Amino acid sequence: MEARLTGISRRETLKYLGYSGGPLPEEVLEQLSAGEREILRRAVPRAIWRLFDRGPAGELVGTDFTPAGEDIREFLKDCDQVILMAATLGMEVEQLLRRTQARDMALAVILDAAASAAIENVCDNLCADLAETFAPRYLTERFSPGYGDLPISQQAELFRLLDIARRIGISLSESGLMVPQKSVTALIGVSDRPQIRRSRGCEACAMFADCAYRKGGTSCGKT
Amino acid sequence: MLQAAGLPVGQIPELWNCTQPETVAAVHRKYVEAGSRVLYANTFGVNRFKTAGCGRSVRELVEGGVRCARMAADGGDVKVALDIGPLGQLLEPLGTLGFEEAYDAFREILVSGERAGADLVIIETMSDLYEVKAAVLAAKENTALPVWVTMTFEASGRTFLGATVPAMGLTLSGLGVDAMGFNCSLGPEKLLPLIEELSHWTDRPLILKPNAGLPDPATGAYSMTAEDFARKLAPARELGVSIFGGCCGTTPAFIRALSAALNAAPAPRTAADRHGVCSASCTARFNGVRVIGERINPTGKKRFQQALREADIDYIVARGIEQQDAGAEILDVNVGLPGIDEPAMMRRVVKALQAAVDLPLQIDSSDPAAIEAGLRAVNGKAIVNSVNGKPEVLAAVLPLCKKYGAAVVGLCLDENGIPQDWQGRCRIAERILEAALSCGIPREDVLIDCLTLTVSAQQEQAAQTLRAVRCVTEELGLHTVLGVSNISFGLPAREQITVSFLTQALHAGLDLPIVNPNQTAVMDAVAAYRVLSGQDRDAEAYIRRFASAPAQERATAAAGAKMSIGEAIMRGLRQETKGLTGQALEQMSEMDVVDRLLIPALDAVGDSYERQEIFLPQLINAANAACEGFELVKERIAQRGGSSVSKGKIVLATVHGDIHDIGKNIVRVVLENYGYTVIDLGRDVPAEKIVEAAVRENVRLVGLSALMTTTVASMAQTIAAIRKSGHDCRIMVGGAVLTPDYAAQIGADYYARDAKQSADIAKQVLG
Repeated sequence: MEARLTGISRRETLKYLGYSGGPLPEEVLEQLSAGEREILRRAVPRAIWRLFDRGPAGELVGTDFTPAGEDIREFLKDCDQVILMAATLGMEVEQLLRRTQARDMALAVILDAAASAAIENVCDNLCADLAETFAPRYLTERFSPGYGDLPISQQAELFRLLDIARRIGISLSESGLMVPQKSVTALIGVSDRPQIRRSRGCEACAMFADCAYRKGGTSCGKT
Repeated sequence: MLQAAGLPVGQIPELWNCTQPETVAAVHRKYVEAGSRVLYANTFGVNRFKTAGCGRSVRELVEGGVRCARMAADGGDVKVALDIGPLGQLLEPLGTLGFEEAYDAFREILVSGERAGADLVIIETMSDLYEVKAAVLAAKENTALPVWVTMTFEASGRTFLGATVPAMGLTLSGLGVDAMGFNCSLGPEKLLPLIEELSHWTDRPLILKPNAGLPDPATGAYSMTAEDFARKLAPARELGVSIFGGCCGTTPAFIRALSAALNAAPAPRTAADRHGVCSASCTARFNGVRVIGERINPTGKKRFQQALREADIDYIVARGIEQQDAGAEILDVNVGLPGIDEPAMMRRVVKALQAAVDLPLQIDSSDPAAIEAGLRAVNGKAIVNSVNGKPEVLAAVLPLCKKYGAAVVGLCLDENGIPQDWQGRCRIAERILEAALSCGIPREDVLIDCLTLTVSAQQEQAAQTLRAVRCVTEELGLHTVLGVSNISFGLPAREQITVSFLTQALHAGLDLPIVNPNQTAVMDAVAAYRVLSGQDRDAEAYIRRFASAPAQERATAAAGAKMSIGEAIMRGLRQETKGLTGQALEQMSEMDVVDRLLIPALDAVGDSYERQEIFLPQLINAANAACEGFELVKERIAQRGGSSVSKGKIVLATVHGDIHDIGKNIVRVVLENYGYTVIDLGRDVPAEKIVEAAVRENVRLVGLSALMTTTVASMAQTIAAIRKSGHDCRIMVGGAVLTPDYAAQIGADYYARDAKQSADIAKQVLG
């Protein structure tokens, strides 16, 4: 299955920008359209995944990796298999975001929000494809390092097991940050029972760095 | 293979070089038996970043690895290669690892590898051309070993970092690698078109070392058979590929099948037939007119000189962006000014430009140290501007061009000055060409500047220059460069003369005009010439250029509408703000325009933002519009020879460990547009550097940003370090995970919730 970017939701983009209603002047609407178009044009979505059996202690069979923490154990408790996935919009978008900051900061924040909406779309599409592939079994939501008490340091384990840097070109810094920023890694459980939807938490969101809601002490309500 | 031999999952495979050398050597032997002629030592993942903390030093792992391969190779004519993979840390500008640090990490591996007895170096699986350059320079400067390079491309013809096949060919040929090609990436058939493309851009032997197709996503296993692999790879011999191998998913069986399938000799390599210069992602091929932008140059530009003296790199970079947008294809970079450390400034400007624009660069200096600093920092293949016929200049600069693989501009003058006739200039061109060839610089990389003299002073010289261009083009077969604008100096309606001369020079054979691409008439003339000369097929680019013209008229029409500066800023209208500021400056002093018009307008915008009447993009649009006004004020002051207007200096930095800095950059834009001078130290900045800048610049306000819970600790350390230095200043902090309580707890004076608040704090502290 190919990574697919099928659209950017204007509602999502505005949400990420901290928009709280009211009229949008024509200049800003033009910037929004231009930003979304530019992300769609420049994104080179890539995704990889791999299936592992889940052992009795929660370890991924055939590896030395056991996801740490209570939250992931609880999350995967009904699952006998786990998919590790990684997706990214590519360095082209990273470079666009960085370069636009030097040219036009307003457009840069719009691109940043639109790119966040775009990587969510890529992940959602991948998960829909996976759900189809694994039917009639059921998949959980995505759960990423940094959610709950799954430490961000385990990002490195996902990178090693999926060979993420070599295969789709995401780089992991020593402090656990990914470049391109608009990248997601996650665990997805596979089970014979339908899974209830759970909160993913703000730290997992691609907008975490600059979310106006979170800094205002609220949330966008999506999680 | 090592995993099949029992390597525990998760262990660093290179550790076995020290602990189980026999097992590693046994694997190598299987490949020798299968027909391998070059053994890659088990050193791919060894470097100071990846193997830190494994209990063995880089030197031990490298020496052990080379020894294991030697054990298997000895007795035959099998060569041992020191295998070098990516460092695993992203280099500047997208990452934070410095070019020089990368060089140093590679040097460590290379010195150990040569000492341990490697026969050659293979730098492989690379996707960053800049990282390759660091590794190749480290190899060339610290060892005597041959260097092979293979990079990893996607089917699109680009690496993950955007490097292209032509850029790889041009850059690595220039740096003098001994063979190059591709490894990993894709299966054999998908790499064939890419290696065909590469063969046009380099004369070097070609390498192909693909994967066994694509892995199965569910299991990670590769499914191609050895025979299939060999059969699909064999056609590469007809493209002149002479070095073959297998990457992910291949085993000794694959090598055996490959040896059997490749028993015939490869087709002979033809010489490279495509030439040019490049950045990592963008190539200016020498097969038509390529415009070189001249605006990054302080000569006669007071505002630019001021930017250089104040190290206002952003101003300089903005001139690069502007020229790229206007259609320049190569950027000339000249930062020479008395009192400036030119090599340091050249390095800084080259790196900053590469972060912001795609274009290849022309390093313009008469100081060999500045030229070398620029060439070293360049990612890609540059042009050096310039040498001339003076023997001492040729001796000082040509070896640098050769070493870094740059093209070179030769000016037609020598110790006797500029010859007054075209024949004299052509003779000097010939001498420069001979000197370059004997230095090992290929003919295609010698670009001749026949020199434009001012027509108002030496009227008869225009014809001589044109004649010389024709002679160099036709007789010597060389590409020509010409600084065109100088022709019209001292005359009214300069553009008429400049454009007319440019058109005639293009007709005489000029293909690399150095011009101001912001002059529409100049670029129009180039567009027209490209149609008439057949370079612009079906006039496609020409039609595109002029079909989009009405949009500009609309923008100018809007500017005519009457509004106040306040309204223009609130709506984020840049041109209008600039126009209205210009009008205001006719009646008010610069400081009055700032304090009575621009700042109050920004304050009104800030209030609207706080009341949530407008949201972030509008706040920034307004700040950007105000910036146009401030820039106009700065220009006026620079013209008077004054220093820039500033309401005070602020140091901003994203703390160590944090590499995402959009939040800090938003704050910076807003603060700058309130008239503060921001010293932006960037991202991932160590505490010492922040303290040093705060003290050196004697700032009274420092702003720190941190994004992750993991890096708030380094923010606390930075604050402690500033306090410990005894420097008296206020500290404001902001960032995703911070709260007012947390800010107080780590010792900050202020918590800034957003960019608007940071401006309020600055006002409180600095006025």
